[in-house]
Amino acid sequence: MKLRHALMGAACTLALAPAAFAERGSDGQVNIIYWQAPSTMNPYLSGGTKELEAASLVLEPLARYNQDGSMVPWLVESIPTVENGGVSADLTSITWKLKPGLKWADGSPVTSKDVKFSWEYCTAEGGGCAQSEKYNDVANVETPDELTVIVRFSVPKPFPYGPFVGAQAPILQAAQFAECMGPKAPECTDANFYPQGTGPFTVSDFRPNDVIQLIANPNYRDPAKPAFATVTFKGGGDATAAGRSVLETGEFDYAWNLQLAPDVLAGMQAAGKGEIISGFGTLVERIMVNFTDPSPDLGDRRATVDHPHPFLTDIAVRKALSMAIDRELLTEIGYGDAGRPTCNVLPAPEIYKSSANDACLVQDIEGAKKVLDDAGWVPGADGVRVKDGVRLSLLFQSSTNAVRQDFQALIKQWWSEIGVETELRNIDASVFFGGDPGSPDTFQKFFADVEMYANNFDGTDPEAYMANWECSQIPSPETQWQGNNMPRYCSDEYDALVAEMATTGDINERARLAKSMNDMLMQDYAIIPLVDRGRVSAHSNTLGGVVLNTWDSELWNAADWYRIK
Amino acid sequence: MFDAPPKKLVEVSGLKMHFPIHAGLLQRRVGEVRAVDDVSFDIFEGETLGLVGESGCGKSTCGRAILRLYDITAGSIRIDGEEIGQTSQHALRPRRPKMQMVFQDPQASLNPRMSVARIIGEPLDEHTDLSRPQKLERIYELMDAVGLNRNFANRYPHEFSGGQRQRIGIARALALNPKFIVCDEPIAALDVSIQAQVVNLLEDLQDRFGLTYLFISHDLSMVRHIADRVAVMYLGKVAELAPRDALYATPLHPYTQALLSAVPEPDPSIENRRTHIILTGDVPSPANPPQGCNFCTRCPKVMEMCHHLDPVMREVQPGHFVACHLHDPEHAKTAGQTAAPEATKSIQQGD
Amino acid sequence: MFTYTIRRLLIAIPTLLFISLIIFMVVTLAPSDPTANLPLSIPSEVRAQIRASLGLDEPIWVRYLLWLRQFFWYEPLHMLDSAFGWSLATPDMQRILSWQTRSPVADLIVQRMPQTLWVVGTSYVVGVLIALPIGIISAYRQYSWFDQVGTFVSMVGFSVPTFFTGVLLIVVFSVQLGWFPSIYDTTHQVRDFGSFLFQVKQMIMPVAVLALYNAAQISRFMRASMLDNLNQDYVRTARAKGMSERVVVLVHVLRNSMIPVVTVIALGVPTVFGGAIITEQVFKVNGLGQLLIIAIQGGDVPTVQTLTFIFAVLIVLFNLIADILYGLLDPRIRYD
Repeated sequence: MKLRHALMGAACTLALAPAAFAERGSDGQVNIIYWQAPSTMNPYLSGGTKELEAASLVLEPLARYNQDGSMVPWLVESIPTVENGGVSADLTSITWKLKPGLKWADGSPVTSKDVKFSWEYCTAEGGGCAQSEKYNDVANVETPDELTVIVRFSVPKPFPYGPFVGAQAPILQAAQFAECMGPKAPECTDANFYPQGTGPFTVSDFRPNDVIQLIANPNYRDPAKPAFATVTFKGGGDATAAGRSVLETGEFDYAWNLQLAPDVLAGMQAAGKGEIISGFGTLVERIMVNFTDPSPDLGDRRATVDHPHPFLTDIAVRKALSMAIDRELLTEIGYGDAGRPTCNVLPAPEIYKSSANDACLVQDIEGAKKVLDDAGWVPGADGVRVKDGVRLSLLFQSSTNAVRQDFQALIKQWWSEIGVETELRNIDASVFFGGDPGSPDTFQKFFADVEMYANNFDGTDPEAYMANWECSQIPSPETQWQGNNMPRYCSDEYDALVAEMATTGDINERARLAKSMNDMLMQDYAIIPLVDRGRVSAHSNTLGGVVLNTWDSELWNAADWYRIK
Repeated sequence: MFDAPPKKLVEVSGLKMHFPIHAGLLQRRVGEVRAVDDVSFDIFEGETLGLVGESGCGKSTCGRAILRLYDITAGSIRIDGEEIGQTSQHALRPRRPKMQMVFQDPQASLNPRMSVARIIGEPLDEHTDLSRPQKLERIYELMDAVGLNRNFANRYPHEFSGGQRQRIGIARALALNPKFIVCDEPIAALDVSIQAQVVNLLEDLQDRFGLTYLFISHDLSMVRHIADRVAVMYLGKVAELAPRDALYATPLHPYTQALLSAVPEPDPSIENRRTHIILTGDVPSPANPPQGCNFCTRCPKVMEMCHHLDPVMREVQPGHFVACHLHDPEHAKTAGQTAAPEATKSIQQGD
Repeated sequence: MFTYTIRRLLIAIPTLLFISLIIFMVVTLAPSDPTANLPLSIPSEVRAQIRASLGLDEPIWVRYLLWLRQFFWYEPLHMLDSAFGWSLATPDMQRILSWQTRSPVADLIVQRMPQTLWVVGTSYVVGVLIALPIGIISAYRQYSWFDQVGTFVSMVGFSVPTFFTGVLLIVVFSVQLGWFPSIYDTTHQVRDFGSFLFQVKQMIMPVAVLALYNAAQISRFMRASMLDNLNQDYVRTARAKGMSERVVVLVHVLRNSMIPVVTVIALGVPTVFGGAIITEQVFKVNGLGQLLIIAIQGGDVPTVQTLTFIFAVLIVLFNLIADILYGLLDPRIRYD
């Protein structure tokens, strides 16, 4: 990690040096490959990562996160805080000051009206804006002058950096999208495919789910950037092919998200044409433990709080399940350098990372057995532990994915060693993660005893993420099975912490609260974290200026990219 | 029978047609089917030689081999004085007009995608340089000759009945004025009511154009009707060859006797009195014929020597050839006693 | 023949309507969700809003009827408008929009057509051109070494999946030798000889992979059909007539053998339009096949429904064409 940081630092300095002398467009063409093809350039109409990142070449937010997860001003002069007066003391408003002289690619000026419009666009009724959560609790956006934007919240917002921050909430040009509000949004195909932006590039040809051609934005704020005159952004195929095209054939300069077996990646890198880069964010592969009884006998009320789980409500069982897992081995097999074992569901940023649970890093089969023995679970004739006629027999579900099925098999083996019987099940991702209330196989319905998937949060603030495990977030028939509290974890103490965080502005205090919520979940074994999954991408040896950023779009600094000659 | 100085139009001697059998992983040649095994006979100009035998005895193969539709294994074939036994297919083509064939299945032997006029006219394109009107005239002539309505010239074979199709096949065979026609079971696929018409047509054409026929059939009564001489084949060999009346009156070979005894007699009173010679067993495989005489496995009069020695073809009476040890003069002393009464009996039956 | 064609076309209408209903039900009732691929960080209320904006909260029969109206009425009007500059379609006549891209499905299809026809179409033509002579010679020289090699190659072409041959070619010719690009450039335009050469280079590998597969199938068919006919009596008749071997094989045998093969080739044409899902994916050709698979993965019902239905139309149409061809080629078949 140290070496990687050093290299990144070196890359940064290199990026700055030539940029000062280079001319816009002097480095010709850069080729980017995303093995999932973007389907639109309007991130508000598609929440997909691929669309967000493609759009980030064109559309920009007021502020975004850098590679360290720190917020940096982008279209504004500075980050407003309570200290500098940008955020009101009662935490209900934030005032952004646009940089003067900003222009859209078509040459028209960027004004506060555009910023306000972006909020109106995303919150318009019937538009189906995928990022509307970013604008939660925004009561109004005021534009006292061309360059000033005041966002007023209906409640105190200790973390007021949701609207207009990060790749998810960029600024749209009001003139272009004025006719595309609400239900009309999808009809504006031209605007959605060819948005006017402030970013370093502008779209010249968009072929949905295939390829995007971009050219340097003639009105980009830095006259020397971008170094590349044109960008080809190819989509489609698979991660192997994308990796091959950068690392082995050199046809492409940058390949995104190479989720490949560690040895495959190493083999590709050996060809010597490019370099693999990785970084860690907040994505954690975890096992959710169901506190409710998913038995089909319960009919409509299965997997609801009406029926507590027959044995997973026993903390000894949950603890033993966690202790029996060898997270080191899982990481090595599934992710190599792109993963690291973790004992927290909130692994980053650094100030939120708890170290109270690190004991789980070492597998302890004997310890797990002892925990079960002490709790009165004794092995039956077939080796499966029983107590009061209840057998420790689990249904373990996950989405269909080669790595997840490997993990399932390994975990089943370890659990059998401690006397827990496991039945495995995998479900197609589009069903598992699809919110169809009619399907019994969604991860929200959780008609199983434990389930495994990965999740993270946008940006660096964990408030909304940690609020996932409030009692009110429990999916149930009453909520059409919507909600993020998959374990059906419910604790007044936890809810109190969530409420406290919602009104706390001090960063250190927020960190303390987030950590204690994390520790509470961990020590209750409601969630069994496994691997902190990083992002792996690759760039060719001739592409300079790449700084991998897991907190924002990977292409966040494409303006600084250049050709190493 | 043949008092006129006979001119031999077709001379076949020692004709062998063996088909290789490939088997095993590497498709090695492991043996051969001796479909025709050392057959010799002559056909005189203007006569009809009937070739009879059970299914699978090699008579059709023999007919095709004579016309060199196969590349023969051994032997000599002279047609009209020209040796064609080993001639290449290419060199053979200009000679094809002289020798033609009428096939068994009139449906299958006509190209379904060609009109009658094209089927009949195609050989004219290939072998003559007639102008289009001349060709058309010739086609109509041929259609008239076989009794087909000229208006049907542009129809396709499937639009005709079986008998009509066979007429098309015959017209086609006649197109180039052949001398020699092999009729390979020409009536086997036809209704009985049509058979006589076609046979009569063949006889009629023979008279008009002076044709020579090799008439292959398993239908002994039809052969008796049309043939001048008859050859009986068994398992790839000719067992007996004789003028028609002699063969039907005094069959010498036990196989011929058995065959003839199987021909039903229309008169029930005679039919009831007849003794049928029932052959037992199956025809041996031509891939693995028995040692000695071909027929020894099924012959009702089999002798010890039949199992060792292949009988040769002998002329036992003028023009009457038979390949059987019973009629071998060297064994006549021993075999004659048993054979004679049988022969007489057969003669009586034949009447 | 004309009345037959008209009758068949009329029968096709209820057939296709029924097919469209079946496709709609299958696609709609299948458990998939257009928001399933979104990051989990997007909360479920937002997902519900997205689904509502896609019209997913309407009853199923409303969605079906709307789609029918869009496909058979609005889309043709829009097409006429853009072709002749008319304005038949009013703004409230909403075209069929893809859920993923929010753009008209018809535009997507038009955009994908060139590369699919270039690559899959060429491979089909090449496949047929290779297959016919191989099939003919294999049958004519049955069990010869040529036939054995042909059989082996066909077996390989038929049984080795294209994702294997495709990747093999990429590893050899792109990675090791560096001759051909491993990623197809759909934006490439042929303007001069140099750009044509590039087009050929980028097409060689996908075309080779698909052509091998097509040729394997068709050559086996051609061979079987030739063998069927070579042993027919009329072939012997032709030989007995003294026809040259060329005439016997090319006129008598080949023409009769072509009847079923032409039908098979005609029936295979719709698969060209269907694209080659796997090969397109391997070489990143991004044609219709890739469009379909992405749409399926993304739960993009309008795109899947429209594409599948167009395939159904093509299949019905080419079945009719094959039947008519059969009638034209084979005098034994008459439809009147």
